[in-house]
Amino acid sequence: MSVDLSPITLAIFVPLFGAIMAFLLPRAASVIGLATLALTTGAVIWLARAVLTGGAVVLPLGGWGAPLGIDLRADGLSVAMLGLTCAVGFLVSVAALDSLKGAQQARQRQYFWPLWLLLLTGMNGVYLGTDIFNLYVMIEVIALAAVGLTVLSGSRAAVQAGLEYMYASILGALLFLMGVGFIYLQLGRLDFAGLTGAEPTGALIAALALMFVGLALKTALFPLHFWLPAAHANATAPASALLSGLVVKAALYIVLRLAQYMPFPSETLLTLVGLMGAGAVIWGGIQALRAERLKLLVAWSTVAQIGLIFVAFARAGEVGLPESWKAAALLILAHGIAKAAMFLAAGRIKDEIGHDVIRDLDRSPIRPTLAQFTFALAAISLIGLPPSLGFIGKWSLMEGAMAAGYWHWVAVTMAGTLMSVAYFSRVFAGFLRFDRVRAPVGEHQGWALADAAPLTLALAAIGLGLLAAPILGFIEIGYPFGVAP
Amino acid sequence: MADPLMIFDILLALSIVALATASLSVRDQFTMIVLFIIFGLLSALAWVRLSAPDVALAEAAIGTGVTGALLLKTLHHLRFVSGSRNRQPMTGVAPLPPVPLGVTLANAAFCGLITLGLAAGFLGAPAAGPGFDMLVAEAMPTSGVAHPVTGVLLNFRAYDTLMEVVVLLAAVVAVWQIERGLSEAPAPVMGVVWQGFARLALPAIVVVGTYLLWGGAEAPGGAFQGGAVLAAMGLLLLLTRAYVPQPGHRGIARWAFVLGTGVFALVALLVAGGGRVAFEYPLEHAKTLILLIEGMVTISIAVTLAALFHGREPVALTTGGRHDT
Repeated sequence: MSVDLSPITLAIFVPLFGAIMAFLLPRAASVIGLATLALTTGAVIWLARAVLTGGAVVLPLGGWGAPLGIDLRADGLSVAMLGLTCAVGFLVSVAALDSLKGAQQARQRQYFWPLWLLLLTGMNGVYLGTDIFNLYVMIEVIALAAVGLTVLSGSRAAVQAGLEYMYASILGALLFLMGVGFIYLQLGRLDFAGLTGAEPTGALIAALALMFVGLALKTALFPLHFWLPAAHANATAPASALLSGLVVKAALYIVLRLAQYMPFPSETLLTLVGLMGAGAVIWGGIQALRAERLKLLVAWSTVAQIGLIFVAFARAGEVGLPESWKAAALLILAHGIAKAAMFLAAGRIKDEIGHDVIRDLDRSPIRPTLAQFTFALAAISLIGLPPSLGFIGKWSLMEGAMAAGYWHWVAVTMAGTLMSVAYFSRVFAGFLRFDRVRAPVGEHQGWALADAAPLTLALAAIGLGLLAAPILGFIEIGYPFGVAP
Repeated sequence: MADPLMIFDILLALSIVALATASLSVRDQFTMIVLFIIFGLLSALAWVRLSAPDVALAEAAIGTGVTGALLLKTLHHLRFVSGSRNRQPMTGVAPLPPVPLGVTLANAAFCGLITLGLAAGFLGAPAAGPGFDMLVAEAMPTSGVAHPVTGVLLNFRAYDTLMEVVVLLAAVVAVWQIERGLSEAPAPVMGVVWQGFARLALPAIVVVGTYLLWGGAEAPGGAFQGGAVLAAMGLLLLLTRAYVPQPGHRGIARWAFVLGTGVFALVALLVAGGGRVAFEYPLEHAKTLILLIEGMVTISIAVTLAALFHGREPVALTTGGRHDT
């Protein structure tokens, strides 16, 4: 009997089997983890080729087909998210090999891999899912694995932050589930296709509101961001990179898909979403300016950047939505890559110097120059300087807002950009000033192979800006907003 | 004359709301948990009245039984850590300042508005929605099982169920990785009656759990309910110290945790081929494969729930025995 494997199922099942093997064989966990990441990336490349040549790919699991069964579907946007997850995930995994190599981290090393591979299973499942109940199950998988990664360092602060994250995450998932219930009540089916063109009745509006609030809680959209800074700042460096770069994107992606298929809200609600985003940009910026520790600053910058993605979403109102999602998608990709690079670099700096107090960065005679350079490169993309991917995302945001005459969103973006320049400059000043060091400065200390992965990510965040046109072309395959009015 | 069942339903609904309110408003943690357990049992009864016996079984076994045990275990642990039942459970956590009345009222008004909105949405929806009933009824003959709920869970939407088992796996991995140090809360003292009860109960639990699993093909029941009942056996063994988890048992425990997920996923993948896709069981083997999956998943669920109750990876203790004091 021959077994037919489809790249869609492999993208979900390879990480699942990897997680099982890594859990069963703790001593070989690192090898299994890296091999799994490589295989999963291979499956995603295979899938990307299929989507490039033949358009969106659909797989009806069990042969039943929606709405009774569950379909998996891969279009340009799905594959772009899968690609982001696997590429960033692979490089973070390489970095994790180094940052978890110490003897006292044996326990962390043993559990990092199964949790991370389960997380990968959940995220890939979200990007390929077309069934809202299945998406609920997937975000539960993500939530538990992500909480496990948050508390991996074992410090008291991390456990406390992890507990808060779990409460927020489970509450968010339950709100989402309640929304799923309302949709089933009204429409009697759970697949995306069944949502298309449905009349916006009371139950569906309630469903949409519940799901949006649940997802906003999970993606930490202001003012529901309270759990994020502590959770992301106290996790161990590779976990922070995964949580900030990838995990929050899963909920964002579901928001994008819901906007695609659900009868989307009026102008007022979209403006409200934009205002929440603007609040995040401003409040995240202020808190990043006040943060005393490097990792906390980076975590607050995530809050601000998530806000910006929602601003991109609302940039041109209801009419502009069929275009606005592309700006949001670009910003999601840009932030995923750059933030992973930045958290890894921040972790490297903390490891080398021994602390991450911003005020005292310039007192250390140790200069982890390559990590600092990486941090600066990632900051360039997050601030949005050309030619980075972040620049293209912000440019496309503002272009759309200007074309629609929504100048207030341009102002918010500008304010957010200025604030990000300001708070990252606090860090750069610590990198650059040498005058407070009493001991001889060891300029070339702290170069390590461990810098390779974050540096690659940071360079990708900048270089991919040059490939923005092909990326935009790719995410339009299987054009998600083809059914929009 | 009103229908007696109607009166029963109204009383049941009122009791559930009253118990929920009571368990939220009472201050003593133990009372709170007991009220929650009764609340769960009455909810299970409500599910029976709603003609959802599968959900009722799950609610009784997992929502009430295992969850209640977990809550009581946590309470025991908190009291052990704090040393006194009236102090704050965790040192270093300041008691929350009282909330001003205005804030409470504003919150209440806000929540009330949301509830009203949701109620309006609920009442506006069609009373008997289209649902899956027709589709399920049509597909049942080709599902390999006779009970529609099992058909949905293990065949039509088996992918969801697989991922739910993965959720449980993720939970136990996350719990095991939390370093809890060497100390462990001492087990409550178990009297002779307990030991005797355990001896009597264990065989009954095994029979009930296995029956729930086997019967799931034709009648309400299945892996989750059977697994939860079997987990109760693990709880009894742990509580009576008839079984003490040892570091040397970790390997086999890991295999038991992943057994359900692994077999389920393998079957799902290996049936693909010859025109079939993943999860598409050949009809002549469907019943066998579903039973195989359910059996393995039941074992994993039982062991995992018991391990969650134990709450930690068994680690090597230093010489000098347990740090019970």
